[in-house]
Amino acid sequence: MAVYKRGYQRYTGPRAGHLERLLVLPREAWRRLSSQRIVTALLALSCVWPLLCALFIYISNHTELWAGLDRGFSRMLAVDSTFFLTFMKVQSVFSVLLAALAGPGMISPDLGNQGLALYFSRPISRLEYTLAKMAALVWLLSLATWIPGLVLFVMQASMAEAGWLAANWRLCAGLVLGFWVWVALASLVALASSAWVKWRLIAGAVVLGFFFVLSGIGVLVNAVFRVEWGDLINPLRAAYGVWCAVMGAEMPAGLSLGTSLISLALMAAVLSLALERRLRPVEVVS
Amino acid sequence: MPPQPAVELEDLHVTLGRREILHGISCRLGISGSGRAIGLLGPNGAGKSTLIRTLLGFHAPSSGRARVLGFDCQKERRRVLERIGYMPETDSFIASMTGVEFLRVMGALSGLPEEIALEKAHETLFHVGLGEARYRTLGTYSLGMRQLARLAQAIVHGPELVILDEPTNGLDPAARRRMLELIRQMKDEHGMSVIVCSHLLADVEQVCDEVMILKDGRMIHHADLEAERRENRRFVELEVEGESAGFAAALAELGAAGVEEAPGRFRIVLPLDFEMVRLWKLAADQGLSIRRLTQRRDTLEEIFMKAMGLLRQTPGEAASSREVSAHGGL
Repeated sequence: MAVYKRGYQRYTGPRAGHLERLLVLPREAWRRLSSQRIVTALLALSCVWPLLCALFIYISNHTELWAGLDRGFSRMLAVDSTFFLTFMKVQSVFSVLLAALAGPGMISPDLGNQGLALYFSRPISRLEYTLAKMAALVWLLSLATWIPGLVLFVMQASMAEAGWLAANWRLCAGLVLGFWVWVALASLVALASSAWVKWRLIAGAVVLGFFFVLSGIGVLVNAVFRVEWGDLINPLRAAYGVWCAVMGAEMPAGLSLGTSLISLALMAAVLSLALERRLRPVEVVS
Repeated sequence: MPPQPAVELEDLHVTLGRREILHGISCRLGISGSGRAIGLLGPNGAGKSTLIRTLLGFHAPSSGRARVLGFDCQKERRRVLERIGYMPETDSFIASMTGVEFLRVMGALSGLPEEIALEKAHETLFHVGLGEARYRTLGTYSLGMRQLARLAQAIVHGPELVILDEPTNGLDPAARRRMLELIRQMKDEHGMSVIVCSHLLADVEQVCDEVMILKDGRMIHHADLEAERRENRRFVELEVEGESAGFAAALAELGAAGVEEAPGRFRIVLPLDFEMVRLWKLAADQGLSIRRLTQRRDTLEEIFMKAMGLLRQTPGEAASSREVSAHGGL
């Protein structure tokens, strides 16, 4: 029978499980994200560098292609921590751009029209709402970061001579863990920005500002006051420190894993607090 | 299993910031699954919204307990929220979603399986009268349409209890009638318990079976409107013309108690299920003609005013009553 003829009937059948219910939000958020052409275009653009890196891996593993060239060139073609750190630096910039484009539309449309009361009057908590929204963003950023990174690593491992994998497994761990930390931070920044800034353009600018302006300020503080605590407010340097440490690469001067972790933990705490303050079903004015 | 109250409050205190908003409310409202509507009344700042938000688990009680459909609002919040639908007072919507998308997502979040959520979204939108507008984004809806969309999202998943916060606010008369009709259908045809929080006493009187009146965070009155209406039908003022000496005694034979206040003027308390036609017949038998018959009926406004302390009693025992013309009959 046609719906308009049937009339309303109260549903009394079986209900979906809690996890199934929770997956509605990231699925909906992902549907919204993937319908934005500019996000899709940037995601496609972010694949260019991994493709170039794949070409590089192919060339570096086919010695016959550059057999006549000198030793310096062959050293340049090595696939090692420097190669993967360079890959991560470039892709992290793309991930920040993606977060700046996609992030602002995650929470502000719900907040703008007081839609949060509708979500939180359903069996879903604030934490679950945040994690569900974050999941869509994490998946998007993963497509530009650790997933292509892992593909490159597997490609290199399969092409390189025996023993390369055993000698370089830390690169894989560093790549994945390092990007997870980065993706989590970028997602948190994007969500916090979306929660506090209504206008998409400005919210996007805030995301970019967090990573690039804050890093500039950190460097400036270190240079002007001749201190090292400026690194605490430098997300790029803090993340880079973690990447180097996990990959077993040489740490940048004046940076330790402890400082990097403290810095990232502080940033995550501030961002989580910002989200907690904002994501409430109703405003209480006491 | 004994019937469960829809809402049960036990010495409920709620403090927001440093200010206590609800001061120890205790009551049992409605009966789960009975299709009763409960009106929540009170002046601004009485604590109505705070109470609703506490039932939804938005605010934690500082002491005492609130239970909805037998579940604790804090400890079993998820089980409570699975069973209720909430229509907020504020203009809450997701502007970029179409009506169908909005309801599908809200239904799925409330536990409807995906394919059923879509079906119910269409069904509910037609039910509330938004069928033709269901593919339009909510941002393009008028205020009245958004109000209906908010009602639709509250009932799309077929909740046992629906909480409506100021459902008729800002609606034109036709839309208001439609909204009240939908509320009546929810309780009468679908057996949902409904809590209506409203400033409009006429709306509450039309659809509610019981009312709870709050003032300064305290419950000052809880009335079963249906029982009060039944009760008030028993009090009658009668003015007759003719020789009325034996009328009071004749009334007693019918089981009614009557006092002659002045010659030809009686105040009568009728027994339950007394048919008014017997009174007319008695007067005719006694050779009396009825000049005036007034049946007292407290309106909700009077109940509210009395509860607020603005009215000591029903004015003049007659001014507020529904006068029934002797010629108009009953």
